[in-house]
Amino acid sequence: MRMLSTLGLALGALLLAAQGPAVADFPEKPIKIVVPFGAGGNTDGLARMFQKAIQDENLLGAPLVIVNVPGAGGSIGARRVKDSEADGYTLLLMHIALLSGEAAGLMDFGYRDFEPVAATADSCLVTAVMEDAPWAGLPELLADAKARPDAIIHGANLGAVNHMAGLMVEGASPGSKFRFVQIGGGAANFKALKGGHTQVAHITLAEYSSFRAGGVKALAYLTGERHPDVPDLPTAKELGYDLDFCLQNWWFAPKGTPRDRIDRIAAVLEKAMQSDYVKQIMRERMNAPTFLGPDALAAKLTKDYAMIAPIAQKAKQK
Amino acid sequence: MTDLADGFLYTFGAYPLFLITLGTVLGITVGAIPGLTGAMLIALTLPFTFYMPPVEGICLLVSMYVGAISGGLITATLLRMPGTPASVMTTFDGYPMARSGRPGRALGLGITASFVGGLISWVFLATLSQPLSDFAVRFGPFEYFTLVLMALVLIASVTQGSMIKGLLSGFLGMLVAMPGVDPSAGDLRLTFGYHELDAGLNLLPVLIGVFAVGQVISDIVGIEERAEAVTMDRRGIFLSVRDWMRHGLNMVRSSLIGTWVGILPGVGANIGSIIAYSGAKTFSKHPERFGTGSEEGIIASESANNATVGGALIPLIAMGIPGSVIDAILLGALLIHSIQPGPLLFVNNPEVVYTMIATALVANVIMFAVMLGAVGQVARLRSVPRAFLMPIILVFCVIGSYALGNRMFDVWVMLFFGVVGYFLERSRVPLGPFVIGLVLAPIAEESLRSGLMLSAGSYAPLVTRPISAVFLALSVVLLVWPIWRHYRQHRGARRGSH
Repeated sequence: MRMLSTLGLALGALLLAAQGPAVADFPEKPIKIVVPFGAGGNTDGLARMFQKAIQDENLLGAPLVIVNVPGAGGSIGARRVKDSEADGYTLLLMHIALLSGEAAGLMDFGYRDFEPVAATADSCLVTAVMEDAPWAGLPELLADAKARPDAIIHGANLGAVNHMAGLMVEGASPGSKFRFVQIGGGAANFKALKGGHTQVAHITLAEYSSFRAGGVKALAYLTGERHPDVPDLPTAKELGYDLDFCLQNWWFAPKGTPRDRIDRIAAVLEKAMQSDYVKQIMRERMNAPTFLGPDALAAKLTKDYAMIAPIAQKAKQK
Repeated sequence: MTDLADGFLYTFGAYPLFLITLGTVLGITVGAIPGLTGAMLIALTLPFTFYMPPVEGICLLVSMYVGAISGGLITATLLRMPGTPASVMTTFDGYPMARSGRPGRALGLGITASFVGGLISWVFLATLSQPLSDFAVRFGPFEYFTLVLMALVLIASVTQGSMIKGLLSGFLGMLVAMPGVDPSAGDLRLTFGYHELDAGLNLLPVLIGVFAVGQVISDIVGIEERAEAVTMDRRGIFLSVRDWMRHGLNMVRSSLIGTWVGILPGVGANIGSIIAYSGAKTFSKHPERFGTGSEEGIIASESANNATVGGALIPLIAMGIPGSVIDAILLGALLIHSIQPGPLLFVNNPEVVYTMIATALVANVIMFAVMLGAVGQVARLRSVPRAFLMPIILVFCVIGSYALGNRMFDVWVMLFFGVVGYFLERSRVPLGPFVIGLVLAPIAEESLRSGLMLSAGSYAPLVTRPISAVFLALSVVLLVWPIWRHYRQHRGARRGSH
């Protein structure tokens, strides 16, 4: 992946040379996007989508270079960006794991150590069971989880978002209790559901749409508004639970990065969001085309931290 | 079936065929270089495929996958450095055979076994992917645990010489796998507050360290002694009818093991070759030859690791579940092209599925032809003075370790384990059990702990679940058999001396 950056640099130099002197002062060289997860994952895919859109439409005047720094739930890559020079040439793309990692004490730093740049895309989780499961809907599932606490098996990646979503859902109906089991991410949970090893999981809407043909049934969409692609799926709020569990992709810069550079990057990202390519991919991945600028994101982070902190601590106690 | 024919027809087009050949050759090259892996090559190639039609991208990426897993045997055989982690087991017999003046034979066996492994797993991929992946989902944590336990027990049968040293080596491997994020609680453990260790010790740098760098060190230390006459015997590159008769069963068995291990997500090619190798040794008439240049050992390891490729593609196309790290990247590539993998892939994008299946076979044939054709040239690698070769290899090891996570830490880990590997070797501690412990312990731990969460702490499912019970029984047999045989041989020997 080092070679990838070298390649990107060479490509960037070419692009810059082709453009001549009309380039603004920033950026003068490729911008490094640290994806703190492996190549091929959701976050990586999103980063590469923006990379392509920005390059194709020549929005930035310099390419984005994606550097995967996976490990320890994203904290290795996040730490790398935190300790990078605050010049706008190194950015982090991460999600709520940054907040939960701090709250659970897995990282000795957190969102306050970064400058928020932008939030792009929004995708809420669904409560998923198999088609032949005995529960007609989320209320029945939660009532059963209350009648038989610690009996219904919920697959998750313990400490990660799909675990917290489960904790939040059981918390919405006091007395309900799932038995959480370490399974992994979306695909692993599909396999465990299908094999009858687990009974409930929380997966993204896009995962649900791809696994639906394999016999997965969704009970609720964890937000306030129905999704146009699955109009029959009730939302948690309609069912009377005040639940909102959505994943946004957040872009961060190291603390102290000049505001004008942050604004420039945010503007480019916002523009890329409007490209046909990004719109199409977002539609296919069932992501809402949400965009938040630096200030809106800062406010959201504070709000989300207050929401996720108690759940993250609960996840840790388990 | 007509769809599959269309898939083949497409891959025989001039441009797709060019892409497949390019991908296979690049894959073999990267696979042969210690430190660089197929996953890295594919991740690097990913951005280029954004600008290709999806089927062309698939041709390129899948052929790289096939090539990379095959290339590893070259350096494993000639230099005792596994080009990819999946070829570790090949070093144990490939190198001794090459050293005894038969590098051509060793390579020929490895290449043919790779081809057969790829072929057999391909048949399952093309015909039975749906039922096989339906069956594979029935493997839950307890089944994974007992499967891995079975392989872990095989440490005993892979060990040569001192059993104590073998167990020590296996234990050391397990210990190395422990630090980092606790796989089933998400907490950090054994990191001693040192954040670089938060992600644990990565498999790749540790393996490259122990095998490649350790070898470099011992070459440097003993560089004057190494005035080894290079003999090159081209005989035996192609397998004779007698060879086929003798090795056919082993080849089929190892390929089936590899295919099945490939189908199980998260288990991996190196485990396929470990199980097949240990199995071949257990069932062999000449287990004592393993580790000294056994033909059976090379065949087991190489047919199994290639078979995992076809196996791992099975859950990917049938259910959208990636069977290996490389498959996860392939899946990412599909998503970028707005192709949704999953049970509907066959319905929505049959051209992608059938191109993938056709490419897997075509790339395997090209791999076989290219590698056999190049055996003569490649085997000369052994006559290159080590003083020239070692620095180059070391450079690639550093690049590869760094590229894994773009971290210098991994490079230090690799160098440190180079020293560890050198001293293990000097103390005559076998490296096989180390690898087995290192690779299997994390899966054993995670699956057992997940299983215990499922059963609320009860161990009973280990014996009440049928598949798990079978594996458990096999584990006991595999544990007792070599010890019993060892004991009988010793008694026989003692009697003879009286």
